[in-house]
Amino acid sequence: MSRKKIVIQLSLIAFLSIGFVTFLFLKSEYRMHRNNAFVRRYPHHPVNKIQDVPIGYNSYYFAGYFENKLYLGNTTAPLHLLEVNIKTRDTSHIMINLNESDLPFNAVNVKLSPPYFFVMDGSVPCIYRGKINNWDAHLWMKDEVYFMNAIPIDSNRLYIKSIHLETKASILGLYSKVGNKKGKVTLNFDLLERQIDGVFDVDGMMVTEKELSVLSYVYYYRNQYLILDKNLQMVQKNTTIDTVATANISLSEPINNGEVKMNAPPLFINKLAALSPKLMFINSNRLGRYEESKMLKQASIIDVYNWRKKTYDFSFYFYNIENESLRELQVYENYLVGLVGNSLSIYELKPQFFDTY
Amino acid sequence: MTLLQKSYGYILSGGQILFIILFVYAASSKWIEFSEFEIQLGQSPTLSAYAEWLVWVLPGIECVVALLFIIPRYVLVAFYLSYALLVMFTTYIVVTLYFSDYIPCSCGGVLEVLGWKEHILFNVAFILLAVSGIYSYEYIHKNNVLCQEKRL
Repeated sequence: MSRKKIVIQLSLIAFLSIGFVTFLFLKSEYRMHRNNAFVRRYPHHPVNKIQDVPIGYNSYYFAGYFENKLYLGNTTAPLHLLEVNIKTRDTSHIMINLNESDLPFNAVNVKLSPPYFFVMDGSVPCIYRGKINNWDAHLWMKDEVYFMNAIPIDSNRLYIKSIHLETKASILGLYSKVGNKKGKVTLNFDLLERQIDGVFDVDGMMVTEKELSVLSYVYYYRNQYLILDKNLQMVQKNTTIDTVATANISLSEPINNGEVKMNAPPLFINKLAALSPKLMFINSNRLGRYEESKMLKQASIIDVYNWRKKTYDFSFYFYNIENESLRELQVYENYLVGLVGNSLSIYELKPQFFDTY
Repeated sequence: MTLLQKSYGYILSGGQILFIILFVYAASSKWIEFSEFEIQLGQSPTLSAYAEWLVWVLPGIECVVALLFIIPRYVLVAFYLSYALLVMFTTYIVVTLYFSDYIPCSCGGVLEVLGWKEHILFNVAFILLAVSGIYSYEYIHKNNVLCQEKRL
């Protein structure tokens, strides 16, 4: 066989091989992102980007908001808070003092419920409470209930997510404590609807809204979110524009010591969520009909729902910064704030689109 | 036998041995940690949808190619197949690295210490080995064509 013939043969094989793998890739991309059953509406500029504030680290999360000031917690410096004035964009650093700080902390989380703030670690488990005027916190709960996540809803009540000891299923609940008495744990077993195993499939985000103190739970893997009242009773069960109603995840058989893993990447329907007195903001990276997939490289899609009316209003983009995409989302009054890479992005909600937000 | 023919012969047999080691190693490490491999393949952003049958087909193909290298009649086919497999694998790494949503954890065994980028270099080296194997094979057998024809 001549040299030329070999070259032609090798190039042909290379072409077919590259084509084959690329085809498989494009097909799986399509499956993960595209759903032609829904159509988004993008009005012209419903939000106004005010500024990207550089905050230096990507380990910040939202701790809360009080009197025009945003508070950011930091996972690698658990007792440090960054205060950002949302109007002037001034920043200052805060150190929290704990009266007993020798507990075996794993994952400390700080959340505000003005005038109080809470320092929590559900794996110890412990909760400290203090006032935000001096940032001194005292041990308030210890060893009463383990939790995966907790958000304070007023000065003596927390919205928690925990695990059922026997079934290992996730449960939503409330923890409340008055005075120095032992606290009270109320678990509501009926809220999270099991579809596959009751652990992975019900996974989602707990979101709260300050003024009305409505609580919500947004599922990751299905097109649904729950609106709950302060006593954890179901008010509404709403669906998003996506059509995936049953979690699309596949789980392995229990490996050694009963550990179960995901067999395949799960199909994320709702990635992030933020709640306001009327609206629900959900970040979903699923593409509807007529949407360009290249947008997903530049921005995250935010869908706006009026949860009271159970309607989908419209969508807009939350832009990436230096190839980093939106990591956390919150809405405070007429501001939509997000953490992107090492920055804090502040957007203003235009009143003509978000009538009294 | 000229020096040139001799060195082509070395490339050929050296290539055969290296490829046999590579494929036997690749297939056996997958079978030894089968459940782990199954999960890793399932979590791959590109191949997740095909994981169910790929877990069997992939080590199967690797074994077959290793076998073909032992049978003299199929050595050339084996080189072409290895070339195709490595091009596919390299494309997979490039696509996953540069175009997919996230990068999964990497392969097992010795190759675990290689980062994704070193892995591409490793693959390119083996692609070149396959190409030189094919050339050597053709060179040697072209020069043997006369004797073969006489035999016929």
